[in-house]
Amino acid sequence: MRLFLKITGYTIFDQMRHKSFYVLLGLCLIFVLMIRGCYSGQYVVNGKLLDSIAVAWYVSNIVFQVIAAGMFLMVILLSMKIITRDHDDGSLVLFLSRPVFRQQYILGRIAGTWFLCLVFMFILHAAVFLTLWARTGTIIFGYLAASLVCSINLLFIAVLVCFLSLYLPDFISAVFTVGILFIGYISDGGYQILNSQILKAAIPSAVPSSPAVWRIVYPKVYMVQAYAASIIDQGSFYNMGPVNPIVNIIIYIVLITALMLAGFNKKEI
Amino acid sequence: MISLNSVIKTFDTVAAVDNITLHVEKGEHFALLGPNGAGKTTVVRMLLGFIKPTAGSILIDTIPASNPVARKGVGYLAEHHMIPSYLSGLDYLRRHASLIGFSGKDARAEVERLLEVVSMEGREKEKSAAYSKGMKQRIGLAAALLGKPKLLILDEPTAGLDPIGIRDVRNVLENLRADNVTVFLNSHLLSEVEKTCRTVAIMNNGKILIKDSLQSIIEKGETLEDVFIKYISDGRRMTDGGGPMEDGRPLR
Repeated sequence: MRLFLKITGYTIFDQMRHKSFYVLLGLCLIFVLMIRGCYSGQYVVNGKLLDSIAVAWYVSNIVFQVIAAGMFLMVILLSMKIITRDHDDGSLVLFLSRPVFRQQYILGRIAGTWFLCLVFMFILHAAVFLTLWARTGTIIFGYLAASLVCSINLLFIAVLVCFLSLYLPDFISAVFTVGILFIGYISDGGYQILNSQILKAAIPSAVPSSPAVWRIVYPKVYMVQAYAASIIDQGSFYNMGPVNPIVNIIIYIVLITALMLAGFNKKEI
Repeated sequence: MISLNSVIKTFDTVAAVDNITLHVEKGEHFALLGPNGAGKTTVVRMLLGFIKPTAGSILIDTIPASNPVARKGVGYLAEHHMIPSYLSGLDYLRRHASLIGFSGKDARAEVERLLEVVSMEGREKEKSAAYSKGMKQRIGLAAALLGKPKLLILDEPTAGLDPIGIRDVRNVLENLRADNVTVFLNSHLLSEVEKTCRTVAIMNNGKILIKDSLQSIIEKGETLEDVFIKYISDGRRMTDGGGPMEDGRPLR
């Protein structure tokens, strides 16, 4: 455990040494702060003035999802090079020529990357939360809790990319992961839309068919996002199948981690 | 200290290491010699658990080499030693020290001691990207010596070093003899091996051709280079029916 924590710490420390990390964080914060204008604007639809707090509420929800999706890309970029970069710069030999178990090394690297992205995302979500609070006096209870719920997706992605990068070139493993996420978004997003109140109101006769088994067992990344959104707006959440999406993702994390450890143990260095 | 028993390592269909049996005793300064592609580095990688043998067993102090516990008390210097470019020599050594259990004042004292040993004091805070190949090799040697290892595995330790650096490495190895440290040296520099090691093995095509003390294998008027060339070029003992030898006895 001691070595695992040390390697996690080194991973965070190493990533934070890069200036690009701070540039990215700064740019993201500027982007988040730019939405302040949305909170103080006057919006008129069909001659009626919209409630600015309601607008701010919706903007915050959209930005929440944009930040989470942006973090997917960041965690993919950071995770895809963990093994090859360490191999090329001598870090792999540094750790594994010492009494460090391979499991400690790879889990420490992934945990460090995940923790860093989790904090990064939380800072951005907290910036939105505080901006909304300062501008409108509205506190969205559950906004920060939803951020933490979404962070489980980041761990899933980090583990998946790292696992794929054992067998595929880095870029291909990143593209493959994006593909897996994309399919999930189409499948689960479609399901959410078909069950939404808006569609039911528009087409009362529309009855969503029961989804195929593969759609039920597929990694529920989008569903975790939808579940987090339901925490924010206290709205309804339509789960696909009997398993909670968080449990679904945790099962996938455990399975992929086990496969990754088995694969990494056999890897020749 | 080190025990390789009937070790085979194949990559696809090529046998990089072909059924070798080798024992290195505690405190022995042992050199593994051989031409490029002989399988020396494969042996070193197996000793460190970086790769697993296809068959046979490798033990370090009775612990399988694939078990990281076997690397407690083992120092390793790679042929082309790499240090992450964003780390300084000091950061790199502190990281090694931390991984083997040093902390606080002990780590600082140990790192400072070794920076002096490898003549890198004053340059330790520079990023390794600014280091020459020889300086990286010196830092790598310091890392290998951290914590006073019982076994030192050196893969071409003098690669990239200038004559003064080579002399420093030789002095370091000489000093280790007094501490009863086992040295497993993989080198092309036969003149250096003659000065630093008492036992050698010559390896070619994945097989050990001979393992014996320097005194025994170098005949009168010969140098180690003569012996090396003799074994590699004509493979005399292998083809004459004598088979590979260890300590004057045939190797199995």
